[in-house]
Amino acid sequence: MSERVVTERSSVLVRLRTSWPSVAGVAVLLLVLLVFPVFAGVAYLKAGQYVLIGVVGAVGLTLLVGQAGQLSLAHPFFLLVGAVSYAVLAGDSGDSGDLVGLGLPPLLAVIGAVAICALVGLAFSPVSGRLRGIYLGVASLSLVFLGLYLGQSLDMLSGGTSTGRPPPTFDLFGFRFANSDPAPTILGVAIQKQQRLWYLFLVLAIVAYLLARGAVRSRVGRAWRAVRDNEAAATAMGVNVARAKAQAFTVSSAFAGLAGVMTALWLDLVKPDENEFIGTYSITVAISYLAMVLIGGLGSIPGAVAGAVLVNGLPQVLTLGATEFGWSIGTLSPVLISAFVYGAAIVLVVLFEPGGLAAIGRRLTTRQGDR
Amino acid sequence: MMIKNWGRAAVVGVSALLLVACGSTADSGSSGSSGGTGGVKTDFGVTDSTITLGVMGDRTGVFKNLGEALIGGNELWVADVNAAGGICGRQLALEIVDHGYKADTAKTLYPQLEPKILGIVQLLGSPVLAALKQNLIDDNVSAAPASWSSEILNNPNIMMIGTTYDVEIIDGLSYLQQQGLIKQGDKIGHIYIDGEYGGNGLRGSKFYAEKHGMTVVESKITSTDNDLANIVTGLKGEGVTAIVLTTTPGQTASAMANNAALGLNVPVLGNNPTFDPALLSSPAAGALDKLYVAASSAPFSSKTPKAVEVATEYKAKYPNSPKNAGAQAGYVEGLVWQAVLEKACQNGDLSRAGVQTALKSLTSVGTDDLVAPLDYSSPGAPPTRGVYIAKVDQNAEGGLTEVAPLFTAPDASEYKAPHQQP
Repeated sequence: MSERVVTERSSVLVRLRTSWPSVAGVAVLLLVLLVFPVFAGVAYLKAGQYVLIGVVGAVGLTLLVGQAGQLSLAHPFFLLVGAVSYAVLAGDSGDSGDLVGLGLPPLLAVIGAVAICALVGLAFSPVSGRLRGIYLGVASLSLVFLGLYLGQSLDMLSGGTSTGRPPPTFDLFGFRFANSDPAPTILGVAIQKQQRLWYLFLVLAIVAYLLARGAVRSRVGRAWRAVRDNEAAATAMGVNVARAKAQAFTVSSAFAGLAGVMTALWLDLVKPDENEFIGTYSITVAISYLAMVLIGGLGSIPGAVAGAVLVNGLPQVLTLGATEFGWSIGTLSPVLISAFVYGAAIVLVVLFEPGGLAAIGRRLTTRQGDR
Repeated sequence: MMIKNWGRAAVVGVSALLLVACGSTADSGSSGSSGGTGGVKTDFGVTDSTITLGVMGDRTGVFKNLGEALIGGNELWVADVNAAGGICGRQLALEIVDHGYKADTAKTLYPQLEPKILGIVQLLGSPVLAALKQNLIDDNVSAAPASWSSEILNNPNIMMIGTTYDVEIIDGLSYLQQQGLIKQGDKIGHIYIDGEYGGNGLRGSKFYAEKHGMTVVESKITSTDNDLANIVTGLKGEGVTAIVLTTTPGQTASAMANNAALGLNVPVLGNNPTFDPALLSSPAAGALDKLYVAASSAPFSSKTPKAVEVATEYKAKYPNSPKNAGAQAGYVEGLVWQAVLEKACQNGDLSRAGVQTALKSLTSVGTDDLVAPLDYSSPGAPPTRGVYIAKVDQNAEGGLTEVAPLFTAPDASEYKAPHQQP
């Protein structure tokens, strides 16, 4: 065991020394992301935040679907649980006093919301451990309907479908993620609520990315892949199949819960959907997340990021561009065009490059993948 | 391990950021400036020659028929005002965006629109409204919603045009009782979509039922349920003498068809959005004659002179657009804005704050009877409680004819809306 760690570490060190261009690339990317609020207007910043929500959710889903091989459509349900948990843990009882709110510090509430989602995911693992493929997909879809029903009926928690409830403003050791006067500036640009949220989301997305990468590269990730590829072989190698499956579902749910908290902060609103097809926590969202991980390449974390950029970012940027520059293609709306684009992307990926954007990226950089 | 790699990258990035950041503080730059012709105070969306107002409508989503007519109505109003010389010596301009009835799209479009406009002439859709509530308050942007729930009146920046769903139902039920179609002690079925829309309608029927010793049989549905056969059968079993609908037009069709097919044949009362002229070409067309619609804006075929004028103009300008009451509703939104802007101009303050002050000082905005006179002086209360009652009529343009002129039931005047100040 210890020997393996040593050899792994030295091989990483060797690669580190040789791959300084990629280090530089990452640094440039980080720098661009850090100064993004300086050159982007609030509208594009909002779109950027939406992409980051997608990144956190998609990274969580790609672990489950790609690494552990469990098809799940339950992501929107966990988004809802995360959003509602945050509002309940950090919130107050509302104007009329008929909401449940524990008034915890927001940071604690975020951690709590993620933990609650992990526990709910764990509670579903007896089901997810027994079913495979499309059967699991359909079973997990039932959670979306459960979320719809619970969101509507437990209005002391969710705020109800009529009005919803406002999520408490996030703050970190007294630094509020809201507008303030005076505000700190970067290059003369005031860092107000939306800029602050961007940095918060960026940090959360990077943490999510690193945690997922850590999981994939460790013993945990190897166990997931072993179970995905052949359960009998995995058992023979000493992997506890039931445990690995439960673990994957729990971890993925926690990621979705974090994305849910981010969604609540992004929308300034926690409000259960009015029906199962359109809305923030609907079947459409389940399909969007699945599209992200498919387009990105199943199981690839950088791929999930790219998928999130395409699926969450494209409609937003196209819509903004359509108003700003008057882009229009006949009667096609920007939302429709981007639906076509990612629909086409899925078909093309499945037909020609089942490894998704990740495989294309790997080929372009001629670097062996980290899967 | 690789964390080191990342750590190093992060250090590079953060130190670069620190170099440029210079952590100083500055004015957030959101305060207004004064200037312009005639010493009128302005901040956003107003220049010496133009007043720009925003429209966040739906041209591609589920309400595109209504949305298109509303935008048409808004544009007609702007054309009329500009032809008459504008407001405060300035021409009006609209900045129209389409959010497709999606809250996430609207949330991104709003910051792009907001700096360019003084206020919003039309903000369509309750999910959109809910998501933008805090933005409107933060930026002090006044908005006329194309959504009529009294639940949203706790937002001072909402400029409600006409009455709300709960009051529509109270007025409608009193009309039915006046006509002898329902009586004290009856059972009434209410089919409603769970959500802001349905929940608000239900408040109305519960209030009315309590006042008149009636019982409400509640049937909750979601907006995607399309077959209401079970529900209507259930209501028949309960022995209801009338049905109230707070539903989508498609659901209205199903309820009406089953009302006839099951031999229940009770009068049905619907909120404004329950009816769409497209229903007249649906298979349920023959079963619609028992439907009464209570709405605060006049039906497309209304004989009210201004409504006729708007309908004629609309047909001439947009021959291919859907014909529904959205045209008049859109025009009315404009008329109310016109009253507010004129008042603000009088006060010499065309800033966003000036618009709010002007709005709250208006106690009787006349809209040539397109809706009842509107009183904006008591926050939290619907600005009017009057409705038009219309009945489905195959031969009328837009499918509805008025059966009662603008009227306000005594019960509606007594009703206390959820956010009404005592």
